[in-house]
Amino acid sequence: MSRPEKISLKEAGALVHDGDLITFSGFTIWRRPVAICYELIRQGKKDLHLFEVQGGYHSDLLVGAGCVKIWEGAWMGQEMLGKIGENLARKQINGEILVDDYSHGHTAGRLMAGALGLPFFPCALAMGTDIFNPEYDQLAKAGLRDGNHRNIPAQKYVMAEDPFFGRGECALLPAVNPDVALVYAPIVGDEGTVRVLSQSYNDAEVIKASKKVIVICEEIVPDSHLRRDPAANLASGYEIDYVVECPWAAHPTGSQFYYDSDGDFLKNYNRTVRDQKAFDEFAEKWIFGVDSHEEYLEKVGTKRLGELRASPIMGYSTRVKRGTR
Amino acid sequence: MNNSDEYCKPGEFKPIDLLAAAAAREVCDGDVVFAGTGLPMLAITLAQHEQAPNAVCIYEAGSIDGRPLDIPTSVGDARCAHQASKASGLFEAFYGQLHSGYVDLGFLGGAEIDKYGNVNCTVIGDYNHPKKRFTGSGGNSDISSFAKRTVFIMVQEKRRFKEQVDYVTSPGWRVRKWPSGEWVPKQELYQSYFKGGVSTVITDMAVFRFDETGEMYLDTVHPGFTVQDVIEHVDFKLNVSRVSGQTLPPTKKQLALLYNVIDPEGIFLP
Repeated sequence: MSRPEKISLKEAGALVHDGDLITFSGFTIWRRPVAICYELIRQGKKDLHLFEVQGGYHSDLLVGAGCVKIWEGAWMGQEMLGKIGENLARKQINGEILVDDYSHGHTAGRLMAGALGLPFFPCALAMGTDIFNPEYDQLAKAGLRDGNHRNIPAQKYVMAEDPFFGRGECALLPAVNPDVALVYAPIVGDEGTVRVLSQSYNDAEVIKASKKVIVICEEIVPDSHLRRDPAANLASGYEIDYVVECPWAAHPTGSQFYYDSDGDFLKNYNRTVRDQKAFDEFAEKWIFGVDSHEEYLEKVGTKRLGELRASPIMGYSTRVKRGTR
Repeated sequence: MNNSDEYCKPGEFKPIDLLAAAAAREVCDGDVVFAGTGLPMLAITLAQHEQAPNAVCIYEAGSIDGRPLDIPTSVGDARCAHQASKASGLFEAFYGQLHSGYVDLGFLGGAEIDKYGNVNCTVIGDYNHPKKRFTGSGGNSDISSFAKRTVFIMVQEKRRFKEQVDYVTSPGWRVRKWPSGEWVPKQELYQSYFKGGVSTVITDMAVFRFDETGEMYLDTVHPGFTVQDVIEHVDFKLNVSRVSGQTLPPTKKQLALLYNVIDPEGIFLP
């Protein structure tokens, strides 16, 4: 058993290598490890293979910046703040990226199999859809299912008869074990115990399935404090390899009981980045044009951050203006 | 607040108000509902205020039976988990709830639909060389696979109601068995996992349902539109033999609930 090592954002970025299969915590616009994604872009990572249950701002950024070669997942967008992952859509159409589609249930199942150390996950979800159409298996079409790529299974799925109860066919989906998990959690103990403060999404499976786990957090607290209520904790310290303390690391996505998702920022992003030039300008302003995360926060501004700060009672901001009335 | 059960007259409501009211009517009391952001949220909350006080809402990000005070803009929103019985994750939502068979009703959207209720929300054009890329499945396929009833809320356009959709993201009543590609009834493919399927499609013009063979038919037409208008906005031969009349407009009470209680910030209702 070992405790996670405390490192800086820059050091964390250097632990991700070109060509790695990486995955993330969070859900669309909540609890995404954004600060480390900015850092990966600044460090010029290449050929990343993303596997995610669903993507959002963090991964659309990596795609836009040209860091990604393969994207496997079920969904990409900003929910009501922008219904499409603009960069992924553009680069798939241009043929600049390989996209392999699954359903949410499929991706969650593949990750769970990886987390449990099982070779595959059986389920009957989304049968009869084009997700199973062999003509649309992009990784096979690109010749990547030849057994020579350590992170790409030899088949997208196998349909199998139930050998025990005769319940009919269902799909066996290959496990996924990413090289690196990039996880944002609000609170980590000084021995590495991880706590999230609301829905847990796929965060526990992301941690268990991955070979190297980097957690970016708002604050590190004494583990003894988190151990007073073990039922509230997500993961044990020995499952975590590295911790980075970095307040507001999820901005513009939200972190329950710390800050709301930044709706205006995300809407503006999605409206802006519809061509590569506009994305590059956005990246210049918000990623390359700042030297550190602190400088990024200064650019967002204390007024904006103040509005986003969550009410400790409600868990979200009661001050930020969201609608038209 | 106007508590009148009187129906609004033309001009007294917006198209989105009627959509929310029509969708809310699909919720039965006690239903376990799997809903997405936006209109589905308005509909389920409206139903909970009226005929379905015991309906339970699950959001796919993991909140179960939450009682949000403020309308969420994401199913992963902190607001969804307010007073929830459980704040779990996607594995619980998709396997513990949906795959295990608890979910009665799913509310979904889509870009294209065919007459058997196959829905596309992935790409337009050839998948290998798409013209347009959407979000992809998310929970759409899973929910349409396993919910006992699924309601789709869509925009009525000829190019969206097609003989064959460009990509089947979510299964309708006739589906393709891979790798052969042979079309079979959903029941045949799903065998013991079969729980139900697409029941209703609500658009900005009409409400459609599905007959015993799993084929779409026109049920009601919204005020201001005719059966002919709907036929002209569908690109397959539409069954209009079972039209039951006009879609009921929202009531004054529903409108007051929508604007004053459910979405007072004006997030979905301008």
